[in-house]
Amino acid sequence: MSGSLGLLGLDQAELDSCVACGLCLPHCPTYRVTGADTHSPRGRIALMQVVDEGIAPLSDEIVEAFDSCIQCRACETACPGDVPFGHLLEVAKGVVEKTRGKAPWWLKLGLRALPRPRLLRAGSSCLAVAQRLRLVPSQRLGLPQRLPVRRRALRATGDDVWLFTGCVMDAWQRDIHVATQQVIEATGTTVRPSGDAAPCCGALHTHAGLGDDARRLAARAMSALEGDNAILVNSAGCGAALKDYGRLLDSDEARAFSARVFDVHEWLVDHMDEIDANPPAPAIAGRVAIQDPCHLRHVQGSHMAVRRVLEPFVSEIVELDDEGMCCGAGGAYSLVHRQLALDVRDRKTGAISRSRADVVVSANPGCSMHLVAAGLTVRHPMELVAEALRAR
Amino acid sequence: MFSDGAAGPVCFPDSTEHVQAIMGVAARFDRAVLARGAGSGLSGGAAPLGDPIVVSTTRMNRVLEVDVEDRTAWVQPGVINLDLTRQVTPLGLHFAPDPSSQQVCTIGGNVANNSGGPHCLAYGVTSAHVLAVEVVLSTGEAVVLGGLDAEPFGYDLRGAFVGSEGMFGIATKIAVRLTPNPESVKTLLLAFDKVADAAATVGAVIASGLVPAAVEMMDKRCVAAVEDFVHAGYPREAAAVLLIELDGLRRGVEADTAKVAEIGRANGGTVRVAADEQERALLWKGRKSAFGAVARVAPDYYLHDTVVPRSKLVEVLEAVYEIVDRHDLTAVNVFHAGDGNLHPLMAYDSREPGVNERVAAAGREILEVSLAVGGVLSGEHGIGVEKRDFMEYQFTRADLEAQALLRRSFDPHCRLNQGKVLPSAHSCADIASLSASKADGVWG
Repeated sequence: MSGSLGLLGLDQAELDSCVACGLCLPHCPTYRVTGADTHSPRGRIALMQVVDEGIAPLSDEIVEAFDSCIQCRACETACPGDVPFGHLLEVAKGVVEKTRGKAPWWLKLGLRALPRPRLLRAGSSCLAVAQRLRLVPSQRLGLPQRLPVRRRALRATGDDVWLFTGCVMDAWQRDIHVATQQVIEATGTTVRPSGDAAPCCGALHTHAGLGDDARRLAARAMSALEGDNAILVNSAGCGAALKDYGRLLDSDEARAFSARVFDVHEWLVDHMDEIDANPPAPAIAGRVAIQDPCHLRHVQGSHMAVRRVLEPFVSEIVELDDEGMCCGAGGAYSLVHRQLALDVRDRKTGAISRSRADVVVSANPGCSMHLVAAGLTVRHPMELVAEALRAR
Repeated sequence: MFSDGAAGPVCFPDSTEHVQAIMGVAARFDRAVLARGAGSGLSGGAAPLGDPIVVSTTRMNRVLEVDVEDRTAWVQPGVINLDLTRQVTPLGLHFAPDPSSQQVCTIGGNVANNSGGPHCLAYGVTSAHVLAVEVVLSTGEAVVLGGLDAEPFGYDLRGAFVGSEGMFGIATKIAVRLTPNPESVKTLLLAFDKVADAAATVGAVIASGLVPAAVEMMDKRCVAAVEDFVHAGYPREAAAVLLIELDGLRRGVEADTAKVAEIGRANGGTVRVAADEQERALLWKGRKSAFGAVARVAPDYYLHDTVVPRSKLVEVLEAVYEIVDRHDLTAVNVFHAGDGNLHPLMAYDSREPGVNERVAAAGREILEVSLAVGGVLSGEHGIGVEKRDFMEYQFTRADLEAQALLRRSFDPHCRLNQGKVLPSAHSCADIASLSASKADGVWG
């Protein structure tokens, strides 16, 4: 097995690790809704192989097969051969983007705005006002029902840990950061929110094949989040991206940085006993269904921590029966591939309704917005815990 | 290995009527038609030869109705095997045939190949769990073979259809039998220093009169690949392990578990009983991921599927290792030991010059050895294109002609899944002189 590079620049050993057994198929959200092998990991790898080896040209159909992947990476969890599908697809999409400039102009424009926090906040406040004047079709655009016009300020209480606040989440869901900070502080830990110094993790840029932008943002985040204290993240997508800087930048410094990154639930599991249990927090009533964000379950493998953190604070946790199938949000995916994202979401809302849950929790802003747009009540686990702690 | 052929137009029907329409078009333009489920087959049965119209059944994926009282269900062919079981689990039922690929393979594919699986040792293969099939024939006509009654009227054409590998028609609705979940299940993992001891244990367990739900064997190399993936605590140092499952009423299962453990120890094995459902599920996940896990050994694999008498297991296994070594390939063995269904697997890298020829030669020798001791060509994967040219090793000319005639009685123009199962001398072209009218009225 060599590392020889073909037309798509793919690692031969990585491609070879797929024996086309097909065990990934039922775990692939796009295969599940279209039934087409070209919308499955196995089919996409077969297409990568023929393009890489120059057997077939990089046609529009093949580009569509790559683009239609939500990059949930559930196939990696299912794969007995450890095929690094996510990496293969990222490399392939990077080449497609460089040679064909495939990402839509409005997406690129949007992605360029993400690392500009003031612009982002001003823009989303305008949008919030327009929403209230009923000037934007929120449902159709997949926007949250009620964007905040103003946001509560986040204040540093010390330097024990960083709280990474990110871009869209900070502009649209600041309240979740406030709740997260409250929960972390309940363990007796001081928190410094990252704020505008590290404006965006670059995950969406990586997914769109814009590797250079992603690397610039990674370098910026690394220089802003200095020190050697833990970096806590309450967005599964951002956490997965920050943990991947080691591979993205391929430097010891980046690897050391990534080692400091924890999903906030993952960190809390080890600090739960530091939360003052006197008086005990009353359990939040109702059935709570946990929607595992793919980048928590399949990429970070930290989804069980959400359960352990929630257990003491809610009366009943129910599992969905879809084995962590993607909800179809996929960062900007649901904007670009509207119909596929909705078809995938239908499977998720079906699983949620079978669970007879009163509330759904999701530890990723993209997933929760996508599900809220389907009319569901979705909270961040940190909001429930903070609520329980406040009710003491 | 089978590089010729490519798909023609690919269709994704979602109803019987769509399949009928596709057959109509195929008949009008005299095009071959190939049905395909999840594409997880292992004999090339769903590989397109020539450029047939491909009918993918993946969108015909609904469970149409479940009758809890009669324990039956009507399903579309694209329903995934494990999805069906999951869907009826809350009713205390499951679909018994459980191929290792059950999380991906479709019921339609199971019917086409009369698939087996670990638990078929006690419960029987797919045919025992299919009551009726709605089939679209190559004429476009839809017929129902079999029925839900205990003794359906007339010839058992359902029985002929199950295992016909897509050459008789396309199943568009399948009535399956659902099996009640057992009250109790125990899974034992037995480890042996010698493959022969493991094989002797299998023989002794069956000879003792027990009918375990499953008896699976994996050799050392397979265990290593599987353990790297599942981390279930499979013993890497063992030459062979057996996974034996017992199910039924609690007291009976406890007694049988003790009996199997005793037989295993008497044959030099160490015994571990899965403590809970989680441990049990992890052990099975390992067994059912074995083929995919072989990717850790080499980028390509070729898997055989012969059945030999249980008494010949050791002899044939030794021959398999010898043959594969001699051809300078890597042998991995994982199989349904209880019914003597071997799955010798050769791992290799297809880019190595000349390796494909060596794999083919070794495969042929393995078949010859299996047949020589009274075995058969295929246990459950089907003949497909892979074993088509070996059919003459097992069947006489008269056998094959009879099979070809049966096929033509369903599909007079041999439009369905061309080039599969029957060797070319018995294919349509050579018996075209037979009048199609002879086939008419078989189910009239």
